[in-house]
Order: sequence, then structure tokens, then C-alpha cells
Amino acid sequence: MTQPLLSLRNVEKHFGTVRAVDGFSLDIQENEFFALLGASGSGKTTLLRMLAGFETLTGGEILLDGKDISQVPPNRRPVNLMFQSYALFPHMSIAQNIAYGLEMEKCSKSEIKRRVGEMLEIIQLSHLAGRKPDQLSGGQRQRVALGRALIKRPRLLLLDEPLGALDKKLRGDMQLELKRLQHEIGITFIIVTHDQEEALVMADRVAILKDGKLLQCATPRDIYEHPNSRYSADFIGVMNFLPATLRQGQVIAANGQPVAAQLPEGLSEGNDVVVAIRPERLQVAAYRGGGGPRGRVLATAYHGLDLQLHLQTNLSSEPITVRLTAQEAEQTALSEGDEVELGWNAKDTRVFAA
Amino acid sequence: MQDRKPLYLMTPALAWLTAFMVIPCLLILALAFFRRGLYGGIEYTFTLENLALVFDPLYAGIFLKSAWIAGLAALIAVIIGYAAAFAIAAAPSRQQPILLFFAVLPFWSNYLVRTYAWIVLLNREGLITGLARWLGYDAELPRLLYTEGAVVVGLVYNYLPFVILACYAPLSRLNPEIAEASRDLGASGWTTFRRVVLPMTAPGIATGFVFVFVLSIGNFVTPALLGGGQFQMIGNLVYAQFLTANDWPFGAALSMILIAIMMGLLTLQTFATERASGAKREGS
Amino acid sequence: MASLANPRLMLVILAAVFAFLYVPISVLVALSFNEGGLPTAWTGFSTKWYGELLRNGDIMSAAFNTLVVALVSTALATLFGSLLAVGVEIRRRKGRFLETIIFAPMIIPDIVLAIALLSFFSLLNVTMGLHTVILSHVVFNLAFVCSVVRARLKTFDWSIVEASTDLGASMPVTLFRIVLPVMLPAIIAGALLAFTLSVDEFIIAFFTAGAGRDSITLPMQIFAMIRFGVTPEINALATIVMAVSVVALTLSQRLNRGGLPGQ
Ligand SMILES: Nc1ncnc2c1ncn2[C@@H]1O[C@H](COP(=O)(O)OP(=O)(O)OP(=O)(O)O)[C@@H](O)[C@H]1O
Ligand SMILES: [Mg+2]
Repeated sequence: MTQPLLSLRNVEKHFGTVRAVDGFSLDIQENEFFALLGASGSGKTTLLRMLAGFETLTGGEILLDGKDISQVPPNRRPVNLMFQSYALFPHMSIAQNIAYGLEMEKCSKSEIKRRVGEMLEIIQLSHLAGRKPDQLSGGQRQRVALGRALIKRPRLLLLDEPLGALDKKLRGDMQLELKRLQHEIGITFIIVTHDQEEALVMADRVAILKDGKLLQCATPRDIYEHPNSRYSADFIGVMNFLPATLRQGQVIAANGQPVAAQLPEGLSEGNDVVVAIRPERLQVAAYRGGGGPRGRVLATAYHGLDLQLHLQTNLSSEPITVRLTAQEAEQTALSEGDEVELGWNAKDTRVFAA
Repeated sequence: MQDRKPLYLMTPALAWLTAFMVIPCLLILALAFFRRGLYGGIEYTFTLENLALVFDPLYAGIFLKSAWIAGLAALIAVIIGYAAAFAIAAAPSRQQPILLFFAVLPFWSNYLVRTYAWIVLLNREGLITGLARWLGYDAELPRLLYTEGAVVVGLVYNYLPFVILACYAPLSRLNPEIAEASRDLGASGWTTFRRVVLPMTAPGIATGFVFVFVLSIGNFVTPALLGGGQFQMIGNLVYAQFLTANDWPFGAALSMILIAIMMGLLTLQTFATERASGAKREGS
Repeated sequence: MASLANPRLMLVILAAVFAFLYVPISVLVALSFNEGGLPTAWTGFSTKWYGELLRNGDIMSAAFNTLVVALVSTALATLFGSLLAVGVEIRRRKGRFLETIIFAPMIIPDIVLAIALLSFFSLLNVTMGLHTVILSHVVFNLAFVCSVVRARLKTFDWSIVEASTDLGASMPVTLFRIVLPVMLPAIIAGALLAFTLSVDEFIIAFFTAGAGRDSITLPMQIFAMIRFGVTPEINALATIVMAVSVVALTLSQRLNRGGLPGQ
């Protein structure tokens, strides 16, 4: 087993009574593209600032290449932060902004010139080298901020919601761009986002934070398929939740019917639970008089090739979402108002405490 | 980083302020409690005589006169200044900064020169006399310069820009919809002004009044130049203790009184501001 | 406000107030160019009174002294005041005591500060002269510079300071290469303000300049001259002094975009 690039050991940061980061451990490998995902106030920025050295830890330690860097000041860490606001120096040109970090390393003039040229090439801004930041578009600024951090060849690049300020279309382009750059340059990225889709598209691994705690850390696919809590299940992708109770080793839905579900460990008789099922794991068919779960189509909506059905069912008061592929949709040919029956496999469900 | 580093940035300035403001001010505070030496020096024995002397009837006249002139100047300055600030705030918003700039500009030019300008206007061979002659008024004009009136005019003239500034701040922050709401509820323009606008802008008026009052009562230049030394303000009295009478402890005690008046008024003003903002909360 | 205002009345008020503010100084300026020098009769345009000023040794030496005082005290105040502003604004916590100390030089009546400094210097047996005037002027100048710079810092994007640190710069390097250039317009605006304040300051200089004739500043000279009445020379001198303030303040306001201090 290779040594992880970065190890967080029980790191915590308290601001008075606020536990912004509440003691967790995490390993990040070399060349990983790692995403921190969480609602506003969950401690993402605080964690990044601790890694960059702008916040002192109230507990725990941070190891980079096996060495504790908690006491190293921010300007001596081989870690760079790309700020949410980009924080470009307004009085310097693009080229000067990018050169700044190398000047601090006392690189020779010729080396700075060469590397700045290369970086401008990489971020595709060579033609704008002489401009000031306020003469750039949002996407261009974002690339300058990225180039300015990347040129230092940090061991670790931290990005705080780098795409937050961009519009949806540009954000999509930039996600691919970031991924390409990370691949090309081979630097470990930790990116903060509260856009789950963004995390899924870009990251090798995702950590879900809530109130300063680490809920789950796994590949996007793992979190999607095997969420370990109701919160993570809800956070990534669309999820249906059916309220239910555990009775006599069975999961009983709100209408009193037993439903198919994978029985969880650690929950006991009489507990209130929720059954989580992904929309694409549900099967529907026109109602033929069975006694199983049934419902009525409230609305249909196309999402690309998929058809989404919203059903009012006898299982919960909340509508349930079902996703059908184009093929399935054609076969079942359902439309608004139709009565349907629905089913699923127990192995596709997750049951969490309510 | 946020809390440790700034210390060395602040040290030179804070050291300077400590050495040349805090310590000297504490020093005169202490001086006020020492005895005057036989030949004008200071005798280091504790006494309350100086403070008692301040309240001696001998000086009551000067105090009352100072307060009267300063109060009159402050009142006139506040009336004119508020009207001007109101007119500026009512102007199209693009013009407001320009108007304000020109209203304040004189404030930052030399005080002596601005006072001198009134000597030019008011003196016996001055412009106003000339104008009166030119208009055919041949009788002897009453004396203009070296009067109480001249001093008040000079003080108002010098401090007016400050009052305009102080009154403009709350007026410009006032949400026009509040006045409109009052009109909408059936209040007349005057009632709206009296019941809504005036209470909400009172802190500015108070600030203006306090500063004109304090700066006037401690002034010795204007009474000397426009009053011709006819009468004394507290400022002149302080001046005299230090430069002619050589009674420093008494001068120090007098300046303590100045500071006390200022602090007292500022506290009152803070109190008034809080009440006004309380009224604002009730109103919204 | 507009909804409550009678436009014609507002116009009358503005005209009256601006006339009150500007007629007296305009008269002064006009008279300084009056050939005859008398306020009662215009005898033709001339700049001869300005020439007279140049030949008046007392005035020239006072002007020189004032220039020395203003330049040195402005330089010191700009350095200290700007650093102070940055130091205060970098802190997250604001101390009431600190605020009071920084604010005090702007509101203490001049005469109080003047006698306090006079007592202080004499008790320490310091020989007074231009140097003591400079020491004293720095007190209020630095407070004004600090307030102008702080006003600008309120809209300053502190993340660029962290960005600079993150890219490897030490604190002094960051101050010099990032904070200083970005803040320069406000710092110059503060310096210009300090310069005019110092050029115009009379009371504190009067008390702390000592008795020597060679430490008389321009305002002290003007005060002495005014007491003996109106002369065309003073008109010319007053015009120049006002022009210096107006130019410096207009520049300051331009640089600062935020208007005059307090505005
Ligand atoms: N300097 C500070 N002083 C006190 N509390 C702070 C400070 N910085 C952050 N906090 C608190 O710590 C918690 C985590 O804040 P943080 O900025 O890390 O959240 P975040 O996950 O980045 O949120 P967002 O998505 O909104 O950026 C919040 O409750 C916040 O109020
Ligand atoms: Mg954040």
C-alpha cells in the first residue's frame, strides 16, 4: 500500500461553539480528483482553508507526504488554493498575475518567462496576456486563477467552488476543462462544490460533509449505488423515500402492506424507517387488478432520452418518481391519469432509520 | 494570522498617538490639580482650587457669554445647514455629490483666510459699507466689525459646511417611500416633515449642533479677529492662561471643562440618536 | 425627499447658501487682483500684489517653514496612518478603546491638544521650534490619513492578500506588492488631505512653535498680519493659500472617488 499524499487525522476546527469541522479522518492519494460535497455551512471552505494554512487546527493533524504540516505557514506549503472569488490582483496583468508565484520562489527571469508562456498556452489565454483582470470574462478569469495556482506545481491544488460564478453552459465546458488539465498536469485536486452533478462528473472520489462531519467517502458510483445514510442518498441523484415500519422481520409500508426491501442491520422491531429506491429501479405497468403497490400517473416529463413519471401511490403521500428508458416507455405507453401498478427488487432498495 | 500580525502595523501610529496625544492630555488633566507657582511655574501640591476657580462668579460672565454666542452660532448654523442639506438631498441624485462637494470645499480651506474674508466685508472701509454708500445711504452705518454679531456670523460661516454634511448623511439615507407612505396615509407635507422626516434625521442635527457648539466655545481666533478682543470666550481664557497670565493649572482646568462639555453633549447626542432609531423601529 | 420639496423653494435655498459660502471668499480673490488694492474701488486688473508677496521676506520664510512642516508631517502621517488603517481593518475584532484613540485627534478641540502639547514639551524641557510643530501635526494628520484609507479598505477584497500569501509571499512582500499598489489612490488622497490640513493649521502650530522668529509658519504670519487690518498683500496671500487647498482637495476627491472625508 502506497503512502497517501494527504492524511487528515481527526482534524477539527471550532469557532467558539460552532464546530465547523468536527473531527474526521481522510486519506487522499496522489493524482486523485477529490470532491468535497455538502450543504452550505457544512465546513467545506473551513477544511480547505485549514489545508492551505489560513486556519489553525483546534485538534488533530494534517500529514502531507507523511509529514505534519500543521505548523507550516501558508506561504511555505506546497499547497495552493484557488479562491472562490478568484482573488486576482486587480493592478497586475494576466501574465503578471501568473508570474507572481514564481517570483516568490525567486525563479530566474528567463525561467519565469518560459513557464508563464507555457501556462498561458495551457489555459489558452496567450492572446490576452497583457490585459487586466477586469477586462476578462468570468470564464477567462477562472482560468487565470487556475493558471496562477497551477504554475507553482503544488503537490495539492485546492479549488473552492471554482465554477460557482459561471453560468450553466460555461460550467459544463469548464468541468471538462478542469478534468483535462488535471489529467495533463498530474496534480492532485481537491474541489469544493455543492453541485452534486458537478461532483459526479469530475471526481474520482467524493466526500459528503454535513455539519462538520464526514458522512461518506467513496467513488461517485459507490455513493450512488450504496449510500450509507439517508442524507447521502438524498444528496446525490434523485431518490424516492417511502415511509415504513419494521414489524415481524418485514418492512410494512404506510398503507399496511409489506413491501420488498433489503432488511438492514442495526434496526429493530417497531422502528420507523424509510425505504430508498432509485427512480430507474422501479418497474411500472398498466394496472391489471393486482393487490400490490399501485398508483396513478400525475405527470410525465422527458429528460433527454428518458421518460420521467410522477406517480401518486398508495404507499406514501409524497409523489414517487419513476424513470423509464425510451424503449420501456414505448412498451408501457403510459400517459397522465393512467392507473399503474409498480414493483421493484428487494436488492435495489436501501432502508434507513427515519 | 488575522489577529497577530496587525500589531506591528499599528505600533508606530499607536506609539505616536500615545506619546503626543494621550500622555499630553493626561498631563493637563494632572496639571489641573496642581497649584500655580509663585512666578508662574507649577508647584506640585494637590489642590482643587483651580476647578473651584472655574466656577467662580468672576468667570461666570465669560462662561455665559461663551455659551450664548456658541449656542446662537450653533442654532443658526443648524437651521441654515439643515435647509441646505434638505435642498441638496431633494436635488436629482446625479447632482447631489457635486453640490455636496462644493458645499464642503470651503471647510477644508484655511480657517484664518475664511475669517479674514469677513473682515474685508465688514470693516469700516469694507465692502458692505461701500455698497451702502453706492446705494445712496450716506448716514453713518452702525459698526459691523468687532461686534458680537460679527463673531456669530464668522462662526456660522466657518462651521456651516460641517453641519450640511452631518445633516445630509441621514437625509440621503432616508427611504423616499417612507415620506410617500406618510403622504399616502393622509398627512400633509408639513406634517410628514415634522412627524416623519425630522425625527428620523435628528441625529444629524444633533451632531451638527454639538460640534459647532464645542468648536465655537473653545475658539479664540474668531473672537480675537472679528470680535476685536471686545469680549472673551473660554478659548480666549485658556489662551491667556498659557500665553500671558502664565497660570497653567487654571488653563488646564478650563480645558478640562471644554472636554467635559464636549463629552456631555456627545453622550446626550448618542442618547438622542438611540431614541430616534427606536422611533424608526416603531415606525417601520 | 423630492416628493416633499417645493422645487422653487429648494432652488432659492441652494442659491442663498452657496452665495453665503462663496461670496466672501470670491470678494477676497477679486480684490487680490485689484490694482489699487482698495475694496471700495476697482482700479484695474493687476498681479502686482502677488509680486509684492515674493519680495516680502517674512512671508517667504514663513511659507518655506510651512512647506517643511507640511511635507515632513504628511510623509510621516501617511506612512503611520496607512499602516494603522491596514492593521485595524485586518483584525476581525474591533476594539472600542482602539477606535476611540484613533478617532480622538479628529474631535479634540485644537486648543486643548495645543496646550496639552505645549505643557508636555515644556515639562520635558524640549526646545520648541519647527520640529515640535511637525511632531504635533503628525498626530491629527495620521488620524485623517487613517480614516481615508480605512474607508477605502472597507471595500477592499481581502482574499487577494490571502492569495498572495498562498502563492508564497511573506507579509511584508504582500503589503508592498499587493496592498500598497491597490490602495495607492486612497493613500495619496489621504496624503493630500493631510498636506492641506497641515498647511492651514494655525492653533497647534501657534502653541508649539516656540518663541523664535525663524519657526513662524504661514498661518501664524497671516494671523499676525490680519490683526493689523486689511491689506492687498494679505488678499493675494489668502488667495494662494486657498488655491492650494482647493487644488489638493479636488485631486484628493478625484483619486478617492468617495468624496471628501466624512462625505
Ligand atoms: N471565521 C469564522 N468565525 C466563526 N464561524 C465561522 C467562521 N468561518 C466559518 N464559520 C462557521 O463555520 C461553519 C462552516 O463554514 P464554511 O464556510 O466552512 O461552510 P461551507 O461549507 O464552505 O459553506 P458554503 O457552501 O456556504 O460556502 C459555518 O457554520 C460558519 O458559520
Ligand atoms: Mg464555502
